[in-house]
Amino acid sequence: MLVVVVVALLLVTNVATGLAVYYLAPATPAPTVQPLRVIGPWSGSEKDKFLPVLNLFKNTTGISYEYITTRQEDLQSLLPNWFAARRAPADLIFMPSSFVKTYGTQGHAADLAGTVSESNYAAGALDPLKDGSKIYGGAYTGKVKPGFWYRQSFFAAHNYQVPTTWTGFEALLRQIETDGSVNNTPIISGDGVGWPLSDVVEHFLATYGGPNMNKQIMAKTLAWTSTSVHDVFANYLVRTLTPGVVCVTSCWSAPRQWDTGVAEWWKGDYALYFMGSWITGMVTPNSDIRVMPLPGGVNPSGVVFAADYFFVPTYASRLNDAKRLAAFLGSSAAQQLQVTVGGHIATVTGVPLSAYPAVDARIAANLTGKVILSDLDDTIGGTFQGTFWTQLQALWANPSNLNAVLTNIQAAMPP
Amino acid sequence: MSAKGERAKRSLSSSFQPYLRVIFFVPATVLLIFLVVYPAIQTLLLSFYHPSGAFAGLDNYGSVLGNRQTIDTSDWSIPYGTLINNFLWIAIHLPLSLFTGLYLALTLQKVRGASIVKSFIFLGMVTPMIVGGIILRFLFDEKSGIVPRAFGLLGISGLAIQWTAYPETLLFGLIFGSVWLWVGFSLIVYSAGLTTIPRDYFEAAQMDGASAWQTFRKVTWPLLRPTTLTVVTMTILWELKLFDIVFAATNPNGGVGGAADVLALQMFRYAFMAGNFNDAAVVATLLTGLTLLVSTWMFKRIIIGKGKNAGRLQRALRRLWARAKPLGRVLKA
Repeated sequence: MLVVVVVALLLVTNVATGLAVYYLAPATPAPTVQPLRVIGPWSGSEKDKFLPVLNLFKNTTGISYEYITTRQEDLQSLLPNWFAARRAPADLIFMPSSFVKTYGTQGHAADLAGTVSESNYAAGALDPLKDGSKIYGGAYTGKVKPGFWYRQSFFAAHNYQVPTTWTGFEALLRQIETDGSVNNTPIISGDGVGWPLSDVVEHFLATYGGPNMNKQIMAKTLAWTSTSVHDVFANYLVRTLTPGVVCVTSCWSAPRQWDTGVAEWWKGDYALYFMGSWITGMVTPNSDIRVMPLPGGVNPSGVVFAADYFFVPTYASRLNDAKRLAAFLGSSAAQQLQVTVGGHIATVTGVPLSAYPAVDARIAANLTGKVILSDLDDTIGGTFQGTFWTQLQALWANPSNLNAVLTNIQAAMPP
Repeated sequence: MSAKGERAKRSLSSSFQPYLRVIFFVPATVLLIFLVVYPAIQTLLLSFYHPSGAFAGLDNYGSVLGNRQTIDTSDWSIPYGTLINNFLWIAIHLPLSLFTGLYLALTLQKVRGASIVKSFIFLGMVTPMIVGGIILRFLFDEKSGIVPRAFGLLGISGLAIQWTAYPETLLFGLIFGSVWLWVGFSLIVYSAGLTTIPRDYFEAAQMDGASAWQTFRKVTWPLLRPTTLTVVTMTILWELKLFDIVFAATNPNGGVGGAADVLALQMFRYAFMAGNFNDAAVVATLLTGLTLLVSTWMFKRIIIGKGKNAGRLQRALRRLWARAKPLGRVLKA
């Protein structure tokens, strides 16, 4: 009997609650339009310099946006699950070219062939995103990784000269260490999840192995364990890493968080820092910053140019507006605004040299006569990147382990 | 109500009892079947198939266990591989956190204001492990970290380095560092365990002239056996499913050269970075198997009551549980 009463009571109260909610609840408000969601890797000062571009888009089109910072390393593992559920966390997402192409060919990225104008771009800028007539993304501005950055005032104060040969480079490192002009090693090694070390290695390969070495590795026609690749490591990079060869300890610091490393290097804790050209937008005053490529390499040597690629997921909730933003990011108006703040180089034509800050104009001058290369580990992509980075960390920890490191990197190459 | 009516009510109520039990049991059972049993069976099945869908037998197990990421004994230097790393965590972290917790519990037993000290130590336990991993990364930083600085001040320059940049210091740094995060657990459980031992035993030992060490060895330690079993089991389970602390302190590849890589991280990489759910299922099955081994051992020792002194263990565990409940409430408050 008690059970029957309880059940009846439950039924009555449920029905009463339902009716009360139905009749007494306020009218449903008109659905608000969600802003266009953009996911990019930039935070801090880099983000501050990107937002004016999105604001220009908003003012021009009236489309509001929401910018979310997420590391590409995290998105590598998150996005496939979103795609499996046929959903996307944003309407436009910045990711490496290998990712965009891989998932584009699987139907997860919208074809932007009719949206981004290939003729606007520098020749070949969209090649990493193309599959036949389809273009699965667009290229925003890019950055080069031209060499070792230093402060002109620091070099002048200690009478250091920019070397023109490898022997001169070794002598410079030795001199910096002997002088005690810095409290630490001459070069600071950037880290995070490991990509700054891969940039260093790519520069050594492109300089002393020549641009074809990078291209052949990316094309999988040259193994990491080949004699030529091994020799570039052994005769140049490993010499500077090994204690007692060029420097008494190592010429390189232990890998440190790359962005805090910028501040440490800039205030004089270290003399040299290998980083991409975005560093010019991270220091003040950037009129004091200079860059020197590794000297005495193969002629012509190569320089890595890494564009920031974006794509529009097939499942974007505002697909058409996202395509409008994609077209805008591939316009000279957007890229000109971005390059003026420093640290960026346009991938589209039509951006005048006068738009660049002086420091970036000097970088552009350094590129003359060099072969432009795409980022090696971004191009190979997949799980190779993670292994590549941690193996380079292992090389920094123990340079005598070169053979094992190269073997492990080669083993991680996709078939 | 008449006696007849009372009897009828009782009869109705008792005849409903079994159905009520079933009704209340059904929602939880349905949820468990869909959210635990079904995925577990699917994972097990997945581990026996190739990504193409073809039956693989034990091929996936062979390739995962034969992979140097899992077991690397080529030159017996770090990295040892995920499986050995997990066992290293158990071999080093378990005794360290267990005995440190026990020592602290014994030391703080008769100290005024001990609960405040215990609360501070327990903070490590309530800190999310992902935050713990980030804190460890900063603790081991060459410039700002307290650990390298301390060794520098002691004149041990070999350890005044960036701990996360070298395989040896990374792996052992994380193991030692996580003792701080976990020791609060063993401290609290041992503190509760100590309250279950009757004072008479200690007084009798004292009257018989037993030294402090003898009292500990002959009275405290044996009577803390059920507590120790609980601490050991829970700690091993934590060490087996270790993920967040390593992920936050290093990267998805387990840091420099994969030195601190563990099974759960390897499973994450296989599934969500390589998209190889079959190999991920193999690692998941291995982890579940190892976890089941430990849980079954614990279950047999205490719950079912097999093994020497099982009855005593059960009684002590009940006492421990009764004492721990108010302690838990205090901690929660």
